[in-house]
Amino acid sequence: MKPALIIVALIASAALLVPLLLPYDHISIDWNSVRAGLFTDGHLLGTDDLGRDRLARLLVGTRVTLSVALAAALVALVIGVAWGAIAGWVGGRTDEFMMRIVDGLYALPFMFVVILLMVVFGRSILLVFLGIGFVEWLTMARVVRGQVIALKQRPFILAAEAAGSPARATLLRHILPNVAGVAVAYLMLTVPHVVMIESFLSFLGLGVQEPLTSLGILVNEGSEEMDMNPAALLLPGGVLVLLIACLTIAGERFRDRLVDAAK
Amino acid sequence: MSSGYTVRNLAVRVGGRTIVDDISFTLAPGEIVALAGASGAGKSMSAMTPFGLSAGVASGSALLDGVELVGLPEPDLSRIRADKIGFVFQQPLTALTPHRTVRQHLQEAAMQAGGAKPGKTAMVAMLDAVGLSRPEERLAQYPHRLSGGERQRVLIAAALAHGPRYLVADEPVSALDAALRGEIMALLVRLCRDRGMAMLLVSHDLAGIEHHADHLLLLDQGKVAESGAAGQIAMAPATDYGKRLMAATPRLSEPLHALPETGEPLLEVEGAHVHFPKPGWRRGRIDAVVDASLALAKGETLAIVGGSGSGKSTLGRAIAGLGPMASGTIRWKGDELPPRRHRSAEHRRLIQPVFQDPLASLDPRWNVADIIMEPVKWLVPEGHRHGRAEDLLEEVGLPCDFANRKPAALSGGQAQRVAIARALAANPHMLLLDEATSALDPLVADGVVALFGRLQRERGLSLLFITHDLALARRTAHRIAVMEAGRIVECASREELFANPQAEATKRLITASA
Repeated sequence: MKPALIIVALIASAALLVPLLLPYDHISIDWNSVRAGLFTDGHLLGTDDLGRDRLARLLVGTRVTLSVALAAALVALVIGVAWGAIAGWVGGRTDEFMMRIVDGLYALPFMFVVILLMVVFGRSILLVFLGIGFVEWLTMARVVRGQVIALKQRPFILAAEAAGSPARATLLRHILPNVAGVAVAYLMLTVPHVVMIESFLSFLGLGVQEPLTSLGILVNEGSEEMDMNPAALLLPGGVLVLLIACLTIAGERFRDRLVDAAK
Repeated sequence: MSSGYTVRNLAVRVGGRTIVDDISFTLAPGEIVALAGASGAGKSMSAMTPFGLSAGVASGSALLDGVELVGLPEPDLSRIRADKIGFVFQQPLTALTPHRTVRQHLQEAAMQAGGAKPGKTAMVAMLDAVGLSRPEERLAQYPHRLSGGERQRVLIAAALAHGPRYLVADEPVSALDAALRGEIMALLVRLCRDRGMAMLLVSHDLAGIEHHADHLLLLDQGKVAESGAAGQIAMAPATDYGKRLMAATPRLSEPLHALPETGEPLLEVEGAHVHFPKPGWRRGRIDAVVDASLALAKGETLAIVGGSGSGKSTLGRAIAGLGPMASGTIRWKGDELPPRRHRSAEHRRLIQPVFQDPLASLDPRWNVADIIMEPVKWLVPEGHRHGRAEDLLEEVGLPCDFANRKPAALSGGQAQRVAIARALAANPHMLLLDEATSALDPLVADGVVALFGRLQRERGLSLLFITHDLALARRTAHRIAVMEAGRIVECASREELFANPQAEATKRLITASA
């Protein structure tokens, strides 16, 4: 888990800090060097066909992708844990009703919903957060509900009832702390998934809007000039692959560790 | 070539630690040798490692019919296992492959040593020999259709299918219902005697094996504490460990010790019914408890005894307000206790539970002090809270510095003592003990039973002692109620119940436990 997390931390801090040190930002156009190659005129990675610094755009794109992923995963965490915990804890008809809603939402084609949202409300980064979080919470709710139902049958919950602990206190003090590990592990696996979805949406032109950029947009742009300038595709693509791989590895290790600890 | 199984100076190491050291015994053809002892004593390791069926590495010597097993490569060991030995394991629920029928299990077992595929008559005879009813039908059945006892019989049939000369049985009856244990053990012994098979038996339940085994080895922390003729050790153990182990094992034949005096009537249950809806989409209901009535006085112990599924835990939970109750009344000193959701803190404080699985009944994320004081927080009004977790720990015989531990750092017996301290924290008048000692080792369980006795004397507690172990009930309870299929079929003082049992279920239990 450690090396993977360190790589993610390095990428994230580079995306946050390095743009502050660069002489160029991701928007301004350097008229003197359009389509510059690597290491020319202070552009370490060159410039794109509008003369914008590629390094600045790569870092800002990474920053946008990561923050969309984090925000969407947090949205999923909050809604999913609350929904799943209530459904699993209350049980019975309430549980049936709440989980049928989840099933119904699962059945909606995700891309269709996102495109509809974009068409109705226009493209905005906030909408991307919401749209992705809206889909990701469904699985989180199912995972948490299953955990809560399993925990509910453990004797220590019965012991809490015997100790006079009110239902709400039992849920907050006994159930949720014991669900937290699984929820965090699943959250860590949600982040790379969201990174992928965001990049996919942006690649299709449905994500964030120019001149703001994201890894998906950069890959899309890079793919158009990959025959002349493969670095334009390989660099954002490489960062994307590295991020997804490392986040997934860290998440799975964390989950495995939880499973071991539960034994 | 000498026949028989001879173990000399066997040692087993697992990951650099010596688990078993210097064990020697001889298993002559047709003989039954039992390895007994507390858990962690190395019983299973000593029995299984020479046959390559454990994670341990054996050294020393284990001669089977003149062939040295220690150091033998796995392919040769595998052939010897298939040729000569049958194995019966503890978990009948998991030892059968769920997607294969009884027929497939028997065929595979019979053919493991290269034998011919057995015909239907042969397989029916195998199932008949282990006492399974309707053997023809059984052949086509999958494991989930069989009860625990039936599965264990199928496993025994499979272990014998290739006609082995030796049988290794690792806790063959521990996972079964009390009433079944004696029956299955007797079946194993009869099969051995009839076929001249030798059996190596591993068990923690001394009372269950001492009449069956010829030779008994008591293991303690990987070493032989005592070894000799089984009857001899059972009657008069020579070592201190043997004495403690024997004393910790309740028997129906032991003399009755006096129990504390009882006081005024405390709890009265009249006509309790509990039923659950059938699982899934099926209509109908399961009657878990039918028309149960009982009474408990101050300082009295009432044992509820019955097989699994007899409704004894359900009844106990209904009384403590921890489970549903469809109808009936529960009175405490004449005042009716309201149903589950309407019990006040004062009602809940009166009756506190201790459950079977000690570790599962403690929240793994809380520390011991918080666990113990949880009932105080909710059940004792502010201003009356003077107990401290440390005092309670001391009362249940644990050191004070356990207060900061997490449950994962406790052994089973320690965790159960913490659960008892929690039950005592709100100063209850009655404890509901739901199989509170049956998940524990004999010596540890004996300590916990002694603790209950002491608490009863010191605090004047009433105990509702739910157990499947009739001998334990006889040792601890003033009166015993026998449950079967949700009904209390008999309730009498312990002297009367054994002198003059009325119900069929009681007689069966007494026979099974003797």
